[in-house]
Amino acid sequence: MTLNRLLTPLAAAGALLLAAGAASAQTKSVVTFAASHFAEVGRGDRLKAWVEKFNKENPDVEVKPITIPFSSFATTIFTQMGGGGGPDIIRFDLPEFYAAVAAKSVLPWDGVINDADYKFTSADKFMFVGGKRYGIAFDTANYAMVFNAALVPGGKAPANFDEFLAAAKAATKDGNYGFAFRATMAERGGMWYDLTNFVYGFGGRWSKPDGTPTFNSPEVIAGITAYKQVYDAGVTPKGTDAATYRRMFWEGKIAMEIDNGGVATILTSEGKAHPIGAAHSPFPHREQGMILAPATINANTKVKDAAVKFLRWALQPQQQQELQTLLGAANVATVVPRTAAELDAMPWLKVYDAQTPYSVPALPQGLETKAPEIQQIVVAQVLKVLQGGMAPKAAMDETQRLVTTRVLGQ
Amino acid sequence: MARFRPFHAIAVLALLGVAAFPLYWMFVTSLTPSARLFGAAPQMLPDLAQLPVYLDALTTTSLRHWLFNSMVVAVGTTVLSLLLAVLPAYALSRLKFPGLLLLGFVLFLTQMLPEAMLVVPLYDIFARLGLLNTLLGLILANTAFTVPVVTWILKGAIDAVPGEIEEAAHIDGCSRLGIVLTVVVPLIAPTLAAAAVIAFFHGWNEYVFAQTFISDDQLRTASVGLASFVGELSTPVHTVMAVGFIYTLPAVVFYLFVQRYVVAGMTSGGVKG
Repeated sequence: MTLNRLLTPLAAAGALLLAAGAASAQTKSVVTFAASHFAEVGRGDRLKAWVEKFNKENPDVEVKPITIPFSSFATTIFTQMGGGGGPDIIRFDLPEFYAAVAAKSVLPWDGVINDADYKFTSADKFMFVGGKRYGIAFDTANYAMVFNAALVPGGKAPANFDEFLAAAKAATKDGNYGFAFRATMAERGGMWYDLTNFVYGFGGRWSKPDGTPTFNSPEVIAGITAYKQVYDAGVTPKGTDAATYRRMFWEGKIAMEIDNGGVATILTSEGKAHPIGAAHSPFPHREQGMILAPATINANTKVKDAAVKFLRWALQPQQQQELQTLLGAANVATVVPRTAAELDAMPWLKVYDAQTPYSVPALPQGLETKAPEIQQIVVAQVLKVLQGGMAPKAAMDETQRLVTTRVLGQ
Repeated sequence: MARFRPFHAIAVLALLGVAAFPLYWMFVTSLTPSARLFGAAPQMLPDLAQLPVYLDALTTTSLRHWLFNSMVVAVGTTVLSLLLAVLPAYALSRLKFPGLLLLGFVLFLTQMLPEAMLVVPLYDIFARLGLLNTLLGLILANTAFTVPVVTWILKGAIDAVPGEIEEAAHIDGCSRLGIVLTVVVPLIAPTLAAAAVIAFFHGWNEYVFAQTFISDDQLRTASVGLASFVGELSTPVHTVMAVGFIYTLPAVVFYLFVQRYVVAGMTSGGVKG
């Protein structure tokens, strides 16, 4: 190889480097808005169009959606915030919201809005920490069971856990599965919600209102035992991630799922070829977890006023109505009644809406700021139950000990 | 004439099959109709009627931007790494000075820390320097990780260059820098190619920095763009597989382009003199 042959590609690469510099030039001032929704097919595009409507109405501000893959959303945002940057507005999941508040990574909303001007939903109370508002509930969603009537014996939802287990076993044949949930550390956040639904459904809570951990209460152990029963029954596509098994559901390969209203909207719209219905989860108690995703203002923002302008716009009744419609079976920050057209198009919505009085945030009450560490411990111990054969009681006793000593330092 | 050895041939074919099967599986899955995607029996042959999925991937996503950005980052990382590594490699090989060994060790410090540990301080530094949301920032961050490896690879190659050649050039009046650029560099060209492959693949595949430092969709690299399809609620399997397949091709072509030099580079230094 001669020197010339070596230098030619180097020169070409130098030109590419210059192109990189040119492509990188960015002078426009914008409000960046990060939400995992933006990465979703369908719903993401509708949400971007909703944001674009603001941009057209407000030529002095441009809100720019930031797409971050769901799997690395929280890690990326916290990394950027730790480095003194990050998007100006962030739609967090609830566990990350409390962690961000505790780390003073998001701004309190002093004077941002006048609460009396809005009719907030009951979930709004969770937006306050230490008496201060740190966000608005951008979207909330209840959990219920969605089922494919063509795969469930008798074509109707099981009424209790025994019927559910029998139906799941009967539906598992010919490449189909009776049920699907998460059971891997790779999907820790999602598995936490699945576990919470089982635990709440069997009457358990992760903690008492004063923050005393109750991970080894009989009700929590009953929920974990039920989770293991389903896992051991061989009725789930083990190892399949949620995005894939949800697609399997709308392709008619899975009979039942317990999922939130946002997902149910996708499942029913994509799975129109199948008779999909909804019912409350088949547990002894009606209580289930809920998705609660606050919109917050990054403490590092340099464009707070512009961010506030967008959030005030988002809280207007018309924008709230449009947001709720595009999100499907979800609620927004303020009370927005369902329209007749929505109920006609999605009759199963009533099941999800009826779940509202029984929806409880999926966080250990009083320990919200410790939720990410607690999730890690709980999921690790439950995985020992599912995959390592550990007894549920022993695992939850160990969870109680670890949370008490390692997280709470007692 | 080389004797045909059937067992060797079978072993090579088996290894080729193992290496190529994931690529083939990606291709087949991208062309499997939705109705058969989750069938009980796996689809082993591609359904070529589904080929428009590739056209969709190229026209309805930002894939072309992402591939261009990845190419800029990978080539930039490669060029900068080679430029920055040649002189330290020569110094480590030829010069004797106090702290030589320590310097060589310190070079590897970045290799001892995972990217995840450095990403926050780097983010802070890049924010101050205005390098966030620029491909130049990514090139610099990646180069910091590839230069030590490339330096040590080149040092090994320079060790194998006979000192007499340099002495002859020196007697002919060539300066030390001239010797490095006109005598040593051409002699270690195969090793440069091998080092280039390592730097290129690092730049091409890198995810953590690209995910954290870039927020503009138009500046995303292909590794991050590919991951963005894996959603919370659903994953467009055909698109992911088609984009994944396309994503591997430039890297494969680059390797095929330099592979003959790589083989020579890998074996250079094995026989001295």
